[in-house]
Amino acid sequence: MRKVDKKTAEAYFRMRTRLIIIFLSIGFVVSFGVAAFAEFFSQFKFLGVEFHYYMGSQGAVIVFILCLFLNAIFSDRIDKKYGIDDTANAAVSDQKHTQE
Amino acid sequence: MDSQMLVSLGLILVTFALYIGISIYNRARATSDFYVASRGIPPMWNGMAIGGDWMSAASFIGMAGTVMALGYDGLPYIMGWTGGFLLLTFLLAPQLRKYGRFTVPEFIGDRFESNTARLIAAIATVIISFTYIIGQLSGSGVVIGRLFNIPAAYGTMIGVVIIAIYATLGGMKGVTWTQVAQYMILIVAYIIPIIFMSFQVTGGNPLPWLTYGEIVDKIGQIDRELGLSEYFAPFTESDKSQFLALMFTLMVGTSALPHVIVRFFTVSTMKAARWSGAFALLFIGILYLSAPAYAAFSRFILMTQVAGSPMDELPAWTQSWMDTGLLKTADQNGDGILQWTELSVGEDIVVMATPEIAQLGLFVIGLVAAGAMAAALSTAGGLLITISSSFAHDIYYRLIKPDASDAKRLLAGRIAIVLSTVIAGLVALDPPGVITQIVAWAFALAGGTFFPVLFLGIWWKRMNTQGAIAGMLAGLGCTLAYIFLAMSGITLLGIQDTGAGLIGVPINFLVCILVSKNTPAPPQHLQDDVIDLRYPEQMTYKDGEVWINDGTQN
Repeated sequence: MRKVDKKTAEAYFRMRTRLIIIFLSIGFVVSFGVAAFAEFFSQFKFLGVEFHYYMGSQGAVIVFILCLFLNAIFSDRIDKKYGIDDTANAAVSDQKHTQE
Repeated sequence: MDSQMLVSLGLILVTFALYIGISIYNRARATSDFYVASRGIPPMWNGMAIGGDWMSAASFIGMAGTVMALGYDGLPYIMGWTGGFLLLTFLLAPQLRKYGRFTVPEFIGDRFESNTARLIAAIATVIISFTYIIGQLSGSGVVIGRLFNIPAAYGTMIGVVIIAIYATLGGMKGVTWTQVAQYMILIVAYIIPIIFMSFQVTGGNPLPWLTYGEIVDKIGQIDRELGLSEYFAPFTESDKSQFLALMFTLMVGTSALPHVIVRFFTVSTMKAARWSGAFALLFIGILYLSAPAYAAFSRFILMTQVAGSPMDELPAWTQSWMDTGLLKTADQNGDGILQWTELSVGEDIVVMATPEIAQLGLFVIGLVAAGAMAAALSTAGGLLITISSSFAHDIYYRLIKPDASDAKRLLAGRIAIVLSTVIAGLVALDPPGVITQIVAWAFALAGGTFFPVLFLGIWWKRMNTQGAIAGMLAGLGCTLAYIFLAMSGITLLGIQDTGAGLIGVPINFLVCILVSKNTPAPPQHLQDDVIDLRYPEQMTYKDGEVWINDGTQN
C-alpha cells in the first residue's frame, strides 16, 4: 500500500467526473435537445427523412453507443496515466469477495 | 394443424432445447469453480448476455408496433430505452460494482444501515417486477394465441404455465451463455424479416437501415393524400410534454430497474462494468435501430398492399389474426373495399403479423415466433427470480426469520414465484394496456422509487437513512398515484400515465435532499464508503487519505 498524494487523487476524480458530464450532456442534447425543438429541425433532411425523425430513430442511438465506447477508452487511458492496473483491480475485488 | 403451426412450434421447441442444453452443460462445468466461471467472461460476451436478458417482449413484440401506430411520437421508446444505458453505465453500475452489493434492496439496506429502508426497497422491487411481468405474459399470449389460432387470453394462460415451469427450473437465469444464445436467436429473428422486407419494398436494396428513410417519406405522402397527419410529423398523437416525459421516464427507469442492475454482478471490475455497458448498448442498439425500419415497412405494406383490397378477397392471414381478437376490419362506408382507416391493427401484433403479410415464408415466420418467445420468457424468468430473491432473501430471511433454514427460504422463494405468476397472469388476461404501455409503468415506478436514492446514495455522502426512506416512499407513492390519476383522465401539463416518471423522480430527489439536510449526517464510515467509490478498486479511501495497492505491504 502506498499513500496517494491528495492532489493526485482529486485530479483523478475530477478528470473522470468531467468525462461523465461531457458525455451525458452530449447524450442529453441529441435526444431531449432535438425533440424539444423538433419543429425547427423538421426543415432539414437527412438520409431521405426529416432530421428530427432521423435523430429519434437512429442518430441519437448511434451517438449514445459512441459515448459509451469513447468513455470506456478514455477512462482506460486515465487509469493508465495514474498507474491503475486492471488485474490488480480484479485481485482486490476478488479478495473483498472472499472476505465477505 | 397447418404447416405454419408445425414449423413455428418446431422452431420454438428447438431453440428452447438449445437454451436448456447450454445451461445444463455450463452448470455441470461451473459447479467446480463458480466465481471463475462467471467472472472470466470478457465484457463483449457479458454485454451480449445483458442484451439478451434485457430485451423483453416490449422491445421485441411491442416496440415496432407502437412506433408504427404513433409515428414520431413513438420514438421516445427508442431513445429512452437506449439512453438509459448511458445513465446506468456512467452513474450507477461501476460504483455499485465496487460497493459489492448486487441487489437493489441489499445496497440500500447496507448503504443506509437500515432494515426499514431494505424492506421498502424489497417491496418496491416486487411491485416493479410484477408490473413488468404482466407485459411479458401479455406478449406470450399474442404469440401463443396466433400459434394455435385462439384468443390471446387463452394464449396468456398457456404462457403462464410455461413461464412458471421455466422459472422454477431455476438456474436458467445467471447462466451467461444461455443469454448469449437467446440474444443471437432474438436478433437474427428480428433482422431477417426486415432485410427481406427492405428487399421487397425498395426493389432490391437489402439494407433496411439505409432504405427506410425513403419509405418513411412515401408513407408521409400517402398520409397527405388520405388527409391524415404525416407519419413523421412531431407531436400529433400526444403533446411535446408527454414525448419528453416518456423519454425521461424510460431513461431513468432503465438505469434503476432492479433486474437490470443485478446483471452487473458478473463483471469483475469497474472498468469491466464500463466496457460491458458499452457492448450491451451496442448489441441492444442493433435491435433498436431496426425497430423503426420494421415499423415503417410494416405500415407501408399495410397501406399499399392490404388497404384497397376488396373485402371478400382479404388474404388468409387476416382471418388467423382476427381469431386472436387483435385485428379488426370493418367496411364502414360499405363500398366493399377495405380502406386504411377501416383497418384496426393491434399494436402488439405488428411484429408477428408483418412477415406473414409480406409472405416471407414458413421459416421466417416461425423464426419470429421463436424469437418473440425467447424475449418474453427470458425476461419473465429473470423477473421472477428477482421477485423470489427479494421476497425470500431480503424480506423473509433478513427481516422476518433470520434463523430460517435453506430449505425454508427456497420454499418461500418458490411460493413467491407461483403466486406472482398466477396473479400477473390473471391481470394479463385482460391487459390494462398495450405491452409497451404496461412496461412503461414499471419503468416509471423503478425510476420514481430508486433512481434518486441510488444516485444520491452513491454520489452524495451526506445522504442519510431518513432521506432514503422518505424519498422512496414519496417517489413510489406519487408515481403510483399519478399513473392511476392519468388513467382516469386527470393529467398535468399533458403528461400521460406512461410519463409518470417525470412527476415521481423530481419529487423523490427533492424529498431525499430536504429530509437528509434536516436530519443528522450519517456515521463517518458510511461517508468514507461513498468517497471510496470515486476511485477504482486498486485505490482505497481510508481515514481521509487515498491509498493505492501496489503490491507492497504497509
